[in-house]
Amino acid sequence: MTVRKFRPPNRLASMIKDKGGILAKDAVAAAEAGVESLREASMAALDESLAEIERRFGKAAENRANESFEVLYLLASKVIDVSIFVADAGIDKAAMSLCGLADSCAEIGAWRWDAVDVHLNALKLLRAMGAQLPPEQRDAMLQGLYQVSHYRPEEG
Amino acid sequence: MLVLDDNGASLDILSQVVSGFGVKQLHRAETVMDAQSLVRTKTFDLIISDVQMPVTDGIEFIEWLRKESGETNRYVPVILVTGHTRTSQIFKLRDAGSNYVVAKPITPKVLLERIFWVAREERQFIECDNYVGPDRRFRHEGPPPGSDGRRKDDLPAEVGEAQAPNMSDDEIANLMRPAKVQI
Repeated sequence: MTVRKFRPPNRLASMIKDKGGILAKDAVAAAEAGVESLREASMAALDESLAEIERRFGKAAENRANESFEVLYLLASKVIDVSIFVADAGIDKAAMSLCGLADSCAEIGAWRWDAVDVHLNALKLLRAMGAQLPPEQRDAMLQGLYQVSHYRPEEG
Repeated sequence: MLVLDDNGASLDILSQVVSGFGVKQLHRAETVMDAQSLVRTKTFDLIISDVQMPVTDGIEFIEWLRKESGETNRYVPVILVTGHTRTSQIFKLRDAGSNYVVAKPITPKVLLERIFWVAREERQFIECDNYVGPDRRFRHEGPPPGSDGRRKDDLPAEVGEAQAPNMSDDEIANLMRPAKVQI
């Protein structure tokens, strides 16, 4: 097998080396201000995804057994996408855990509804008061979710 | 710069972040097909792409970019962003040919740090039958203990005598002076 190793021109590096521009801390501040303008829309998108997860995969959803693993995975991914404003509540980590659970259910081809339910309950709690929870309680809850989502019945 | 994400709300956040960095020309795409059209007609200095997308995902997009997109953009630095990586995609993600993978939710500080890192990195580009992209080895720690390594440029694990005097405090401070950004 032929392997070619080389250093192609890096236009980005040249631009950053050019004189001028703004200080990194000012760039971060400007970006944070810009993102802040999206808070309302992002929170609406987050709540919409959480509501759809509950509607299609919650305990009350009559047809949830016929839903696809992929749909739950994508909805949980959407929650992570816009969770920048609720990272202090742990919602991003809970949604990552739900993604892991959906992925693991897809691998074994079967739902683990007890695990799904505990994730949905946790997401509701974190959305309502995640930022107010004592950090150690929130971390313990997230750690528990991670263990539930990564539990493999065949491994005991 | 090109930003690609199928989730409109997520694309908005990404766009706002890079706009805050002072990006002069920002192109947005919500599908890989749109991104491919842009890559064929524009020259980019940086591409930031989501991984999980329907029909064609970010991994396939980067593979296409590195192998089939043409000379203009095939070596452009790429940062992939993802909220979660499926178990089945971990190796695919490593082998896609991106320069860096950043976890969502993205924050301006982390993304700017990664952009700096990508701009300053000195990894070589590798082209072979089954991979095109930056060297996947981030650190050069030498071959495993007890072996001579299998690459011509593998260095021995033993560190030799210093070839230059230690840096002064001023020289070290200069390395960490406030950086300016121009993207």
